[in-house]
Amino acid sequence: MNVWRFELKKAFQSPVVSILIMLFLFFNFWLIYNHAGIREELKVTNQLVERFGYKIDAEMSAKLQAYYQSKLQKMNELTRKKFGKTYERAGDFFSEYEYRSEVLSEEELHVITETAIVEGYYELIQEVDQKYSHLDLSKKAKADINKYGLSGKTAEVTREYYKKLNNRLDELIEAGEHKNLFFIGYVYRMHSFLFKDLMRQMIFEVMILVVLITGHVTTYEFQNQTHLTSYASKRGRKLMLDKLVANLLATLCISSVILGATLLVYFLVFDYSGLWGIPISSFFNNEFPFPYISWWKLPFGIYLSCVLVVFIICQLFFTVITYSIAVWIKNNYLVYAAFALLFGLCLLVPGIVPNTSSAIFWTRYTPFELILNPHLWFIGWNVFFPKNYIWMTSVIWTCLLAIVTVVTFLKFNKEQID
Amino acid sequence: MLVVNHVSKSYGKFEALKDINLEFSNGVYGLLAPNGAGKTTLIKMLTTLIFPSSGEILYNGTNITRLGEKYREQLGYLPQEFGYYKNYSPKQFLAYIGALKGMDKKVVNKKIDELLKLVALEDVATKKMKKFSGGMIQRVGIAQAMLNDPKILILDEPTAGLDPKERVRFRNLLSELARDRIVILSTHIVSDVESIANEIIMIKDKQVLYKGSIDEICKVIAGMVYETSIPYEQAAMFKKEVFSLSEKQEDGLLKIRFISKKTPEPTWTAVKPNLEDVFLYVYRDDIQESSAI
Repeated sequence: MNVWRFELKKAFQSPVVSILIMLFLFFNFWLIYNHAGIREELKVTNQLVERFGYKIDAEMSAKLQAYYQSKLQKMNELTRKKFGKTYERAGDFFSEYEYRSEVLSEEELHVITETAIVEGYYELIQEVDQKYSHLDLSKKAKADINKYGLSGKTAEVTREYYKKLNNRLDELIEAGEHKNLFFIGYVYRMHSFLFKDLMRQMIFEVMILVVLITGHVTTYEFQNQTHLTSYASKRGRKLMLDKLVANLLATLCISSVILGATLLVYFLVFDYSGLWGIPISSFFNNEFPFPYISWWKLPFGIYLSCVLVVFIICQLFFTVITYSIAVWIKNNYLVYAAFALLFGLCLLVPGIVPNTSSAIFWTRYTPFELILNPHLWFIGWNVFFPKNYIWMTSVIWTCLLAIVTVVTFLKFNKEQID
Repeated sequence: MLVVNHVSKSYGKFEALKDINLEFSNGVYGLLAPNGAGKTTLIKMLTTLIFPSSGEILYNGTNITRLGEKYREQLGYLPQEFGYYKNYSPKQFLAYIGALKGMDKKVVNKKIDELLKLVALEDVATKKMKKFSGGMIQRVGIAQAMLNDPKILILDEPTAGLDPKERVRFRNLLSELARDRIVILSTHIVSDVESIANEIIMIKDKQVLYKGSIDEICKVIAGMVYETSIPYEQAAMFKKEVFSLSEKQEDGLLKIRFISKKTPEPTWTAVKPNLEDVFLYVYRDDIQESSAI
């Protein structure tokens, strides 16, 4: 009989875990529901992609213009009939005081709104080249140096960072990665919503569950006074290995449930059907004056997959960290406190390191720091998000935690169980 | 054969056991000593939960730490404070213990049914243990220790919480089991081992004081145990001169059983010493200390 199966059962026995899962899913669905008002508008993006493809070039631009003109004409016919007035731009309709939705039927309002959205796309397409030609990353480097008070070596690292990012930007422009249709980031902020608001919320939710479960399962025998019976059995201290396996499996289960259910609802609410292949560095995805420049060409689908992989890796790290603490401490409440303390310390340290020390960079290579900005994973945003940030953090912590786990297990093997 | 070879155990500067030498072959061994004498420390070393500071424990000639799983699969152990999962039924809990003991699922299920019947818990086999009495829990503990049909059965205070009827049944069971295995029964209750132990091991001052059959051990105080009846008013004075073992009221007098090394008086009747007399005599200082506390 596999002992880890029994250990895995313990992970999900606690009613607290089930209640928290339900509560967290409710929070996630509530967040999606609150954002769902724009779902109809987002459908227009998919319609445009379906009609013209997402690659922006002269031919596509011309077709879109013609489509927009026809839409605007239809809209003006409607407004002439309703208000005795026509508009040069659909957007002007919404800025005028006489706009009263009650005069229009839902269908009529939809025609005007859709025209305004198409107009938004058409107008933004005209700005793409100009926006990217005006990007000066050396200025951004200077701004960052001033903003973070960097000097000496750290300032040099910053300048070097932006040179590399500039190379990537040139490559991106050359390949036309930015010239793809996507939800308009300035308006809908879908990247921030999915990867910052929702994903970060899920990261913390799963982390809470993982820490609770791992602390619970690992200390279970000591908490229930069954340690003498269990560790004197044939399996002996190897039971701790079974607990590690069970904890890792529980983490994968919890991550799958929270991610699976939440993302299923998310993609049912928001239609991404035609957008999976669009690079994340698309101009339309930008939400701020500084664009999202991914370090590699990452279509949305691949980007999401990568984020999910990093999500799970971080949760596995939290599992092993909690497990190692629990083997040493053996009291689940103290384990939770120790984990919180470690979390706090890992966030505190980069903030107190002198700005002139390169430690300001490498102290951020922790899973605790990493999970704060999932929307910037694989993206060159500022000097604290270098190209190697994700994989270096993953490799360093995999090695570190492998060593910690081995040391912990060797220690437990020689431990006096009283 | 299980051999404890020059084993000492220290916790920092505190020495719990000193140079223990013991040999166990098939039979019941009563490990008899007051609480805090080091019985549990010795047992935890025999179960590999703690390790000797010096010396070694050998099973069939090989160090038990080196044998690891191969040794522990021969082992059945009931700890003094037997922990259990409150929300599990005996069946679920024993299935888990069976998995820890590396047993096949089918074998475990069959064995669980047998053992629950043996310890008279078959009616509550699927009930959650949180509502069980101390005696019922102890019986689950006994069942889990015997689950793998162990060659070495170590029971630390196994009769705690059992009623007199259950105690008798348990003793009979152990006698039967001990025919082809080592049964080590640690207790401070003399009656638990008196009728069934082939050998008694008494630990005092961190060392083995006596190891032998009950008759051999009783020889320690042979010719020193007497009974007499005295008026109550003389009792205080009398007890200053002898070591009182037990007292009871009989026909308006105090009937006292005692140990004395002096020449017996005519009113004293010599009696055959029993294990409890030896226990009380050997541990008189410990018992007085704990009574004072």
